[in-house]
Order: sequence, then structure tokens, then C-alpha cells
Amino acid sequence: MLFRCAIVSIFLVAAACSDTLPRTADGKPDLQGIWQAQNRAAEDLEALATIPYQPWALEQKRANFASRATADPLVRCYMPGVPRIMYLELPFQIFQAREHIAMTFEWSQVYRLIYMSGAPQLYPGIGSWMGHSRGRWEGDVLVVEVTDHNPGTWLDAAGNFHSERLRLVERYRMLDADTIDYEITFEDAKVFAEPWTIRMTLQRREDLARLNEYQCQAEVEEASGAFEPDLHTWYPAAPPPDNAPFDAAAGGELPTLTTPAEIPRLPDGTPDLNGYYQSDAGGANYGLEAHAENFLTPASRGVVIDPPDGRLPYQAWARTERLDRELPHRGYDDPTAHCFVAGIPRSHYIPSPAHIVQTEDYVVVLFERMAWRQIALDGRAHPPDDERFWMGSSVGRWDGDTLVVEARNFNGKAWLNEVGDVITHAETVVETFTPVGTDRVIYRATVSDPIAYTRPWTIEIPLDRRPDELLEVACHEDNNDLQHLKDVRDEYRARQEEEG
Amino acid sequence: MNTARGKKRRAEVTRRLRIAGLERGARGLAVLAGILSVAPVAAHHSFSAEYDSERAVQLTGKVTDMRWSNPHAWIFIDVAQPDGTVVNWALEMGGANGLIRRGWRREDLPPGTVLKVDGWQARNGSATANISTVTFTDGRTLFAGTSNAATPRQ
Repeated sequence: MLFRCAIVSIFLVAAACSDTLPRTADGKPDLQGIWQAQNRAAEDLEALATIPYQPWALEQKRANFASRATADPLVRCYMPGVPRIMYLELPFQIFQAREHIAMTFEWSQVYRLIYMSGAPQLYPGIGSWMGHSRGRWEGDVLVVEVTDHNPGTWLDAAGNFHSERLRLVERYRMLDADTIDYEITFEDAKVFAEPWTIRMTLQRREDLARLNEYQCQAEVEEASGAFEPDLHTWYPAAPPPDNAPFDAAAGGELPTLTTPAEIPRLPDGTPDLNGYYQSDAGGANYGLEAHAENFLTPASRGVVIDPPDGRLPYQAWARTERLDRELPHRGYDDPTAHCFVAGIPRSHYIPSPAHIVQTEDYVVVLFERMAWRQIALDGRAHPPDDERFWMGSSVGRWDGDTLVVEARNFNGKAWLNEVGDVITHAETVVETFTPVGTDRVIYRATVSDPIAYTRPWTIEIPLDRRPDELLEVACHEDNNDLQHLKDVRDEYRARQEEEG
Repeated sequence: MNTARGKKRRAEVTRRLRIAGLERGARGLAVLAGILSVAPVAAHHSFSAEYDSERAVQLTGKVTDMRWSNPHAWIFIDVAQPDGTVVNWALEMGGANGLIRRGWRREDLPPGTVLKVDGWQARNGSATANISTVTFTDGRTLFAGTSNAATPRQ
């Protein structure tokens, strides 16, 4: 059967195979899973088709090719754009919800959110690295139009390129359970003499249970020494010998939350968390404990609900480190100043919105500041202990109307906020997402970290659903602050050296 | 800058940030939309680490460029010096996404526009400032006067 389908696909008639396709509850082909292109497109797209450049653009392409070792945006870890992200030699995962399709990519936490409802785009004409995707089903074919491209991306490593006038039409046609026929039509009147089309297959990566992390810029800066290891927090740092014992049983009695019956629900009765959310974070990104405004550091209302005094139960060394991190010369050490991902729980209270895509098997959170987390609901085990990630591993389950998540396997590189509240690789987090109204979810995170704390502690932050759309944050691509922060640090170090 | 004036200015910045309800994300009031510093809303790094509380600046100059970037947008202005030279200042604000959600687009601030800004200079001494207020020569506040009731709030 597979052989017959493959032959049929050559003639672009997939219908013969359609009876074998996996389908979602609403009858659409089920594209969900981990996929990867297996071809040379990332290296040189012209391995698949000759690109009909206008004469000036052909000259530009040749110049790009000649300088590709330094001019390729990917060399600087800039977002690859669409379609290049689709055929990079790294896997990606597709999630299908009712009104949105999410694609999460192993490459640097990049994602695509494809709007499927047919509603008009809220912010047309805002160029972005990953473009704007709106899709529809034509029979069994998923058709996606991608517009609003940033002219800064290339189509491959050979210097093939486009302008801001690029418009893509993608067609995803499932040939069998493990193969997607993927077609892209390129239109760009500024660069190309005529529209042109390429076609490739995407293969299911059945060998992969989950995506890993390839954090391009973080790896570059760690290798160069621009981002320095923290020997207190990074895996596998040991606890200091004089640490107080960790009282794992302390606390844990939290006010009860109630979910009304009439909240939005999926057909099976599960709370429907899908949508765009803004956290009411109360300044948690500038301190989890309550504090007043201090120069340009805004006030925090304090989001710690356990211990009841709102104070983080620090180990002595970690409190000292926290106070040191607040000094100006440590501002450079905050990973988010480098535009690295924020980790958990910080990603939920950095002051940027997020979009939740919920399927039967996953809750996927797409953070506007270009990072994703996927919470597996299939009862799977966490990865082996020596596999560590910026965003950790998240496994969830529904307990009544509350989504309960356990997150662990962190690498200990994140900070909890800009003032440097401390978290280490020993962190495990039990989170709850409880709808308390039609458009309000209460997020709680109980953090246990025996290296930095003497007992577990819990924060609470409301998340508000709004009728809005994500806009891309190209943090690393537009990071003008890091050099200033580095100057402050370097000046401090030079002064220390002078003073002996 | 003398200390008393510095304290007063800091108090003013504090007051404006508080009025703008930035921590609560309560925006959309046209009259307050001009409080552009929105820094807390989109910050990805510590402003207190990058900017110097002892270096308050007030600058007037012509816009040469605006970078609609995130988490911070930047305005560049040419500021004439007493000796006749011109210094191009980079002025940091909150992210472009917040401005876009309030209905503003890059065309709304053409080069040549004269602005007066208040802010804090970078600790490294470069011509860089984090700005708290932006005012046109006629007294209007930048981006004020546009009601975005139809635009969903961030």
C-alpha cells in the first residue's frame, strides 16, 4: 500500500490513499506528530528547482553566495523564516486545534501559529522574520498563505533570497500516515520574474518521542565565553556543603480555586484553554517578592502565596547571590538580556503575551518572545535525568477542571527575573492551570529546589484570555542592549582588577 | 544635576509609570498613550543595570530614524551641541508590539520630526538613553491623541 501511494503521489493524486489517512475528530487529515524534510533544500534550494530571478536579483544571489560564510543570517542565529525553517535538517512538530495549527521547531524555540478560523488578520503589514500564516482546508489539503515577511531571511545557505513582497502558498497533502507531500509556491514581483513552485516530502520521525532543544545563540555564546557558566546553578552543580536540609513537606496548603461549569469546554467536557493570554504578573519579572519601585526597576506586588509571608525561603548562599545579581554589573548575566529563553516558571510572567494551542494529547504554549513549551498529556515518563533543557520537560494531566503539570530536567541556566531570583538545575515544578471564569485562568507554580531553597514555595499569577493575535518578538535579532550591559560589567571587572 | 532636581524628576517618572498602569497592562487611554517608556511592559533586561540614575537627560532634536523592534523600540534623534556639532542619540522605549497594538505604525513618526524627550543616559556614557516622555514642539505628547478603542489591548 505504501508503495502504491508513493507511486500515486508522483502523479499528485493522493485520493487513492485517502482512506488510509489518520484523521482528527473533525474528519481532517491528522498531520500531528514530528516531521522532518530529507533533502538538500536547506543547502541549496536550486537542487529542487531553478529559481526564475530577475536579472538584478540573480546578481544579488551570486553576491550572497560569494559571501555566504558571513552574510547568511543563520550564521548569526537569526530566525530562518518560512519556508527555510521547514526544511532545515532538524525536526518539527505539528499540533492541530480547532482554530489554530501550531508548528514548533527544534531550531531555537521558533514556532509558527497558523490561524485557521477565516477571521481577518488583526495586524496586517507588520513584517516579521517568520511571516504571518493563515490557513484553510481545501478537501484533504491544508493550504497556508504566508505573508508579511522580513526581507532579512534567506531561502537556503546558498544565498537564494526574497524581498518583503514575498507571498507563499503552502500545500500540505498527506500521502500516508508517515508522509506529507509539501508544495510551496513563491510569488515576489520584486525579485522573481514569475511565480515558481517546489515540492518535497516531509517524513514522520517515528524514532523521536519529543523534540529536543537546539538553542543556536546560547550555544554560540557559551562556546565563545560571552555567556559564562554559573557554577552554583548549572547542571550538574552540587549543593553547597553547608546548605540547610530541605523540608519537602513544608507548606502546600493553598486556597481552593473553583471552576464554574459554564466555562468554554471542548466536546469531551475538558476546559478549553485555547487562545491568546496576557498575564497579570504584578511585576514578577522584577522580583517575586513584593518590593517598591527602585529607579528603573518597577515595583512588584509580590506573587508568592506560600510561604504565607511572601518571602522566598532561600538558602543563605542563594540569598547572597540574589542580592549580588541585582547590582548593575550583573545585569549582563541575566539570560534574557541575551534573549535566551526564560525557562519555567518565568516564561509565564515575563511581560509578553502567549498563545495556548490545546489538543487531546498536548497543551502547547507559544510565547510571543519566541519560545515554546509543550506539555504532553499522554502519561509519558520524563527523559533520563542527564538530559537537561532550558525549558525542561513537561508532563501534564487533567485533574477535574485543572491542568496539573510536572516540569523537571532543567539545565539551571535560567534566572527567575531581572533582579536575579535564583533557580538551579535541581528545580522541579508542579504547576496548575485552573479556569476560574470564562477568560481567566489562575496559574500556580510550586517550585522545589533543594540547592537554592530550604522548602517548596508557590507563586500565583492570573492569565487573562483576550481576542488578540501574537506579534513576533525578534529579541536576539534586535538586541541593542547587550553591549551596554557588557560595558558596565567589563568596567566593573577592570576596576576590581585595578584595586587588586 | 543636583540631587533635589534628580529626586523630583525620578518622582515624576515614577508617578507617570504608575498612572499609566503599566504593571497592570491597563493601557489604551488615549491621553496616557504618550507615556512611551512602557519599558516595564516589554523589558528583557534590567534597565537599572543599563542606565544611570545620576544621569538624567533632557534632549531636543530631529528624528533621523525609528527602529520598530522588540522587546524595545528605538528612536534616533540628532541633537545640536553648543559648539555647532550634532550628536545622534539612541533613545530606548518599550517594544514595538505595544505600539502596534495601540494602532501606531512606522509611518507615524517621519524623519525630521522635532521631539523633546526626558530620560536617563546609559552607564557606559554613550549617547544612549532610556526615555520616559516624548513631546512634540507644540506640546502634544508623542502618540497621544489616537484612540484605539477598536484595537485590542495588549
